[in-house]
Amino acid sequence: MKHTAIILLMTATALAGCGSTTTVDDYRPTAEPMDIGTGDKVAVLGRRDAGHYETDRDFINCLGNQLSKSNFQVMMEESFVDALYPWFEPRTAPKHLNRLKKIMEIPTVQEKIRSEKISYLVWLDGEVESHDMSGAMHCGLGPYAIGCFGYTSWDKVVTFEAIVWNLQDLTEEARIRVDSEGTSYVIGIVAPIPLLTRVESEACVGLGNQLLSYFTQEVE
Amino acid sequence: MRRNSGYPGHGSKLHLYMMALMIAGTALLSGCAKNHKVKSDFPDMVVEPVDLRVVLVMNNDFRTYTAKPNKKDRIQLGEAQTEALTKAFKGLFSDVNVVYSWQRGGPDADLVITPAVREVQLSSPSDSYQTVFEVWIKYSLDISTADGVPIDSWFLPAYGKTPYSYLFSRSKAIEEATIMALRDTGAKLMLDFFRIPAINGWMQQHFAANEQP
Repeated sequence: MKHTAIILLMTATALAGCGSTTTVDDYRPTAEPMDIGTGDKVAVLGRRDAGHYETDRDFINCLGNQLSKSNFQVMMEESFVDALYPWFEPRTAPKHLNRLKKIMEIPTVQEKIRSEKISYLVWLDGEVESHDMSGAMHCGLGPYAIGCFGYTSWDKVVTFEAIVWNLQDLTEEARIRVDSEGTSYVIGIVAPIPLLTRVESEACVGLGNQLLSYFTQEVE
Repeated sequence: MRRNSGYPGHGSKLHLYMMALMIAGTALLSGCAKNHKVKSDFPDMVVEPVDLRVVLVMNNDFRTYTAKPNKKDRIQLGEAQTEALTKAFKGLFSDVNVVYSWQRGGPDADLVITPAVREVQLSSPSDSYQTVFEVWIKYSLDISTADGVPIDSWFLPAYGKTPYSYLFSRSKAIEEATIMALRDTGAKLMLDFFRIPAINGWMQQHFAANEQP
């Protein structure tokens, strides 16, 4: 009975600690909603030019799925990069609007964007970092028993920035920064029990909802 | 007295044979190089082609090329690099004729381009202590006129890496990094090919000569 109470207490403490804090900051040059026609697409792309990290593909897919809940179509990274090859490869992808404007002067690129009906491009840049690992967990295998005992925890910080480019007007429509942090635990009581913080999914939902709030569907 | 069979020493001999077999097997397996086949499926380039007739010479060695970046890995590049470079040059020029040998190029060509692999390098997480696989491919492009007058021999480096290595098998990761490097070849060609001073100069002369009545 006493042991059960201790285990319950530990689990409750750990679960309470698994919560995360998410902050979404945005900047828009105008408060006007972003119009998107029926059948038009929003492409979601990750930055690939940094040497030491790449924008997490799972996060890009998560944001794509989040945006798919709207009425407009979402063009996933692979399809967009293939459709406009080789203009959005790590070596060639435009980092600033001026470069995008140069690329959009090329008739074949213009035609491709028009035929694919891509209205907006969402650039995602950021990473997930784990740090401050503490505690110790020991797992053993013996002739009569097998199990893990101990406790370990670590902090996870997610930082992403989304920049929205309008591919018709060639302007920047919005910048959104999302920060999310939380602590994950693994408690070893014979079997290891992971209690993981859901910082990525919270950041993804926060960013997705903010982006969705900008778009209004044009009725034709 | 311990005995495993009716014959003295039979059990220990069996153990020795088994151990020797296992050691030999392990040594054999670790010594064997693994082949990684790279899939050949690349998108068309979205560029404005230059109005030139080009012969692209890719011989059998190039088309069946297998890179040996280390003792453990063999990357079967031939089919994929043939496809990637064919699509890249078909994007750059309006008329591209892909042939096995120079002689089959025909006399009507403006340029003859012969690619060759100089070197392929591979870096895995165990080498670099990073979480990614990286591939470098170094090509040389011999560019000449249809008459065989050399214009330039251009060094074309390409680089590719996996986003991370956790979810990939070694083979899949090497394939992914190689595909990225081959895609980078197209990007590099599109950016820099017409900026090669010798090519740029030759093109200016060529178009000026063709404009004259």
